[in-house]
Amino acid sequence: MGSFNKAPILFLVTTVMTMATFTFAMGDKPPASASKVSISTAPATATQPQVKTFAKVADPSIPPLAALGPPPVPADNLMSDAKVALGKLLYFDPRLGGDASVSCATCHEPEQGWSFAEGISRGYPGTVHWRGSQSVMNSAYYGKLFAVGSTPSLESQAPSAARGGVAGNGENDIMEARLRLIPDYVNRFNDVFGEPWPTINNAWKAIAAFERTLVQRDTPVDKYLLGDKTALDNQQLRGKALYEGKARCIVCHNGAFTTNEKYYNIGVPRSTRWEEDGLSQVTFRFEQYAKGTTEEMYRNIKDDAGLYYRNKNKWSMGKFRVPTLRYTKYTAPYMRQGQFYTLEEVIDFYDRGGFDEEGRTTSFLETKTPLIKKLSLTDEEKEDLLTFIEALSGDEILMDKPRLPPYQSLFTRAELQTAQAKK
Amino acid sequence: MVAIVTTRQCFLAAALGVGLAIAGQVIAAPIISSLPTLNVNEARAELGKRLFFDKRVSGDVGISCATCHEPENGYANKDALSKGYPGNKHFRNAPGLINTAHKKVWMHDGRIGTSLNDVTREMITEDYIMNMDMRIMQERFKQDPVYVKMFKAAGLGEPSNGGVRKAIPEYLKTLTSHGAPFDKGTMSVSAKRGLKLFKGKAGCIACHNGPVFTDGKAYNTGVKENFDVWLDPQRHQAFIAYAAFMGIQNYMNLKRDPGAHVQKHVADGSGMGKFITPSLRELKYTAPYMHNGMSKTLADVVAFYNRGGDNDRNKDARMKPLALSKAERKDLVAFLLALSGEPLTGSKYVWQEPYPAEYPVIANWLNVPN
Repeated sequence: MGSFNKAPILFLVTTVMTMATFTFAMGDKPPASASKVSISTAPATATQPQVKTFAKVADPSIPPLAALGPPPVPADNLMSDAKVALGKLLYFDPRLGGDASVSCATCHEPEQGWSFAEGISRGYPGTVHWRGSQSVMNSAYYGKLFAVGSTPSLESQAPSAARGGVAGNGENDIMEARLRLIPDYVNRFNDVFGEPWPTINNAWKAIAAFERTLVQRDTPVDKYLLGDKTALDNQQLRGKALYEGKARCIVCHNGAFTTNEKYYNIGVPRSTRWEEDGLSQVTFRFEQYAKGTTEEMYRNIKDDAGLYYRNKNKWSMGKFRVPTLRYTKYTAPYMRQGQFYTLEEVIDFYDRGGFDEEGRTTSFLETKTPLIKKLSLTDEEKEDLLTFIEALSGDEILMDKPRLPPYQSLFTRAELQTAQAKK
Repeated sequence: MVAIVTTRQCFLAAALGVGLAIAGQVIAAPIISSLPTLNVNEARAELGKRLFFDKRVSGDVGISCATCHEPENGYANKDALSKGYPGNKHFRNAPGLINTAHKKVWMHDGRIGTSLNDVTREMITEDYIMNMDMRIMQERFKQDPVYVKMFKAAGLGEPSNGGVRKAIPEYLKTLTSHGAPFDKGTMSVSAKRGLKLFKGKAGCIACHNGPVFTDGKAYNTGVKENFDVWLDPQRHQAFIAYAAFMGIQNYMNLKRDPGAHVQKHVADGSGMGKFITPSLRELKYTAPYMHNGMSKTLADVVAFYNRGGDNDRNKDARMKPLALSKAERKDLVAFLLALSGEPLTGSKYVWQEPYPAEYPVIANWLNVPN
């Protein structure tokens, strides 16, 4: 089944995936609000057609799958070749991190699906992260970045990552100072932004512009939806029908970007990493402390409470933003802490109604969406679904690390001597 | 201005060796003396000692306090300019920490005048020094059973940021000079002659007075800039970050260390290049000297003062050539060396047990409180 262009996975997480959930408004509401989704269960035809047609999830408010258009570009950060070229250098430059050893690309590696090979990201030296790195590929389409949508734009995501204590651990002032001592950057920033010195905010803008070029719009699914009916084979078409019907993935993973960007608790079990690794326990507590939980919660919580950290609403416990399914062929492992190594495991998890193979589910039972339920997919159907989901990824997009421009002293010795004489 | 007038009068007083009545107030001549004894909480100091030598106090666990403040160098460093955090370097000399607990103002620019508790915080969190998010540090130490025990024994509860900021200053109290010939009354004849010069002809006592040999005030003595601050981009970046953070105007063009200017930002720039009078104790171990390490030896320092300091339009008016003879300069150095005691090395002062290579797993994690 799924062939992954990736080395066997070491630990757990990264791309948070959710597939079948069943509410539409702002993600799950308290239990009172029941599912509004109805699925007309069409009888499986007695004769086996080449492409099984399942009744589609019947709700006109669900945006259909569509070919991916160009990413939105904010009016205050327009694209230019020079800006993208600068952003690419900065993306790979570890000087935009605390001890100049960690760049964006360290945890969002091109050859790891622009994410990280382990379920929990490596983090800053001396630390480990507590969630997986999400793929940068196609991140330009998100309106809510990070696992719980903590930032609304690529421009604001970059500094959050570069400055986070268990991520880049950089401070604005010294990162900005470094840029100013790299003559090639001084010229490029001046050229792109028309300001005399590089500023850290412009660095994030350039990185965001570069990331807006990391998009994939020519997957088999895109081609098919644009009219090339040969782009998907029969098995993939059967998978598509399952995606839009019996497996009900479409309810949340809909529209051109395959996500409604809402928040759900789909039942992903707790990462076992926190029970097994001291350093991970350090970070786990740090996150509780840093995110402003109550003392009682800090003492007692044993899992990632997700959206709760943002709004402190108990009905948000364990909810995470629906991620895109595009490019997931390359971004294993899956879920926020890499709970699943393969897409097969992910499909099995949904098929069981949000339980892993040992029967484990979310730590926050009271918020688990009632709309995740047993799907009763046959083995053949699971394979069909997998082939379709894989068709949401095109060719792997790789990139060589660019050669980075060097530091140079800003003043000559003669200039310093002149200043000394005038002191 | 009042402070400066007073200091000037002190200088005169020192030179004359008598008290002067100024505006109806009797100003005593500055004195130098032995250090008072500090009460030390042993358990807390022991904890501080372990913390001082622990690299987990820095962001990427690359450096400890002792990386720049080395016991064998009087808790200073042989480098003219300090190492700083990995990824950058520092733009000033690491001062010796012996007797730092007896001071009232810290840092070469005097930007901290509260307590060592605040100095500890500044060193740990400043991005070009240790770059530590103390919220992470606190959780690191809760994961180390040795610290859990030591914090408790020190009466500091569970490991915390506040506890670290109390324990390290307590340890620093133990770094108090002892055994200096000046204190023991065993100075050589040459050193005694030096003492006379110190109080008289050389005028050192005007600023270098009290038990720590510093008045804790800032002066411009005309020390030359250390060009490495600007010629090495890794130092210059830290300097830029500092100057920008401190609110110095035109900081990208700044080619001199502003020093205590950062305290008052006097508009005409006359505060530029002032630095806090350093202690003269333990100089035997702490070469090179000055805020930027520009003087390699004590002979260099004395020669610097003997020529009235170097060029600076803000230089203190009292910086005048001293006309000390070669023999007098030697005597003065002998006196300065008599202010150094026994080295504070060995297990009494230095944590010598290994630190754990990794954080042990908390067993039964699901069922014990965090």
